[in-house]
Amino acid sequence: MLLNVTLSLLEGFGTTLKLFFLTLVFSLPLGLLISFGTMSRITPLRGLIKTVVWVVRGSPLLLQILIIFYGPGLLFDLPLLPRFTAALLSFVINYSCYFSEIYRGGIQSVPKGQSEAGEVLGMTKSQIFFKVTLLQVIKRIVPPMGNEFITLVKDTALVRVIAVYEIIWMGESYIKKGMIWPLFYTAVFYLAFNGILTLLFGWLEKKLNYFR
Amino acid sequence: MSILEVNHIEKHFGATQVLNDISFSLEKGQALSIIGSSGSGKTTLLRCLNFLEKPNGGTISVNGNVIFDAADPATQNEKEIRKKRLHFGLVFQNFNLFPQYTALQNVTLARELLAKERDSESREAIEAAGRELLAQMGLADRAGHYPHQLSGGQQQRVAIARALALHPDILCFDEPTSALDPELTGEVLRVIRELAEQNTTMIIVTHEMAFARDVADQVIFMDGGVIVEQGDPRDVIDHPREERTRQFLARYSEN
Repeated sequence: MLLNVTLSLLEGFGTTLKLFFLTLVFSLPLGLLISFGTMSRITPLRGLIKTVVWVVRGSPLLLQILIIFYGPGLLFDLPLLPRFTAALLSFVINYSCYFSEIYRGGIQSVPKGQSEAGEVLGMTKSQIFFKVTLLQVIKRIVPPMGNEFITLVKDTALVRVIAVYEIIWMGESYIKKGMIWPLFYTAVFYLAFNGILTLLFGWLEKKLNYFR
Repeated sequence: MSILEVNHIEKHFGATQVLNDISFSLEKGQALSIIGSSGSGKTTLLRCLNFLEKPNGGTISVNGNVIFDAADPATQNEKEIRKKRLHFGLVFQNFNLFPQYTALQNVTLARELLAKERDSESREAIEAAGRELLAQMGLADRAGHYPHQLSGGQQQRVAIARALALHPDILCFDEPTSALDPELTGEVLRVIRELAEQNTTMIIVTHEMAFARDVADQVIFMDGGVIVEQGDPRDVIDHPREERTRQFLARYSEN
């Protein structure tokens, strides 16, 4: 029995991890782009992007998943997106907005003198960003990013609302058979994975401790 | 021909006039000290020369070429400005070293990036030059240290080496010792003095009157965004003609 449950939970956790990693792959770079938008000197663009960030951060992720999955069909008679794709799309949009604010905070906390020193030394804007600012930003955003990654792991459970079979869905299916322990068992997966993430972020923080 | 000619520079931030009709020239190999109280526009003037601020009026010429003309947008093209600002080096009050790089990497980074674009120098040559500059600053044994492992005086000397690495025509110092503990100012001033003795063309904004008098070939006293008095340091500092200069210097000797 234990083996059966483990296998089925692993299958669900595979979906969970796939969603987790794919969300990061897309939303980490997209978030950076959005953060540039929220710092843009072009007022209409900045206003537009800030509004989008406000809407996305200000409304429940659960609602966003439902709207992205059912919305196109009900509003425009379009075919439904595959369930996993719709889930991924909502997560990417949601998380890139959160990440953008973390990036913005990190970028704006690097003293202006750093980029001025780069400018005076004849560096281009992109050289200044990649060679001077970026690592300092990364150092500053590691702790809040750690938080966000852990939240993401747990948020993936929301996709069950459009019947993407992640790990809790799998665990819950055993309730019908009168078993509660598989549900507790799912928590072990989360705890183990988040433990690994915590260690990883701790290591990264230490790694970046060589400068101030 | 003067290496630097500044004509009628104007700068205002909103309604506040920060620089008003600033004109002066500097000969190759000479050192110019700019003195004056805080808010007199000294730092803004240096920042204009380094294109960190854009003057609202006036021209800047280096070696007879107009490199900036407020009336001519063609001289303000972003790409061009990047090249032109290499005529100048700037040493900041707060050093602004890059914390994630060692002293040596701070000195070599910009030159390596430039060399990559132009395919001119080898990495090894740049590194050797960087080490030599650090040695000249008395920091040969600190090449591998990160900025936070160095004292303020050492950091500022690294910053000077970093500026020198690009061989600027004119090296500018923005109150290079103001952020330092008094016992650390000496080592930085000594380095600047040595540079002056080697005929480095320099502009030094400073509050160190004795230093300004000793090192500079020319002194400018600024107040309220205008040049009140300029000339030989022994005249301006020891025998000022203007009442405002006298008041400023009197307040200084009181402290």
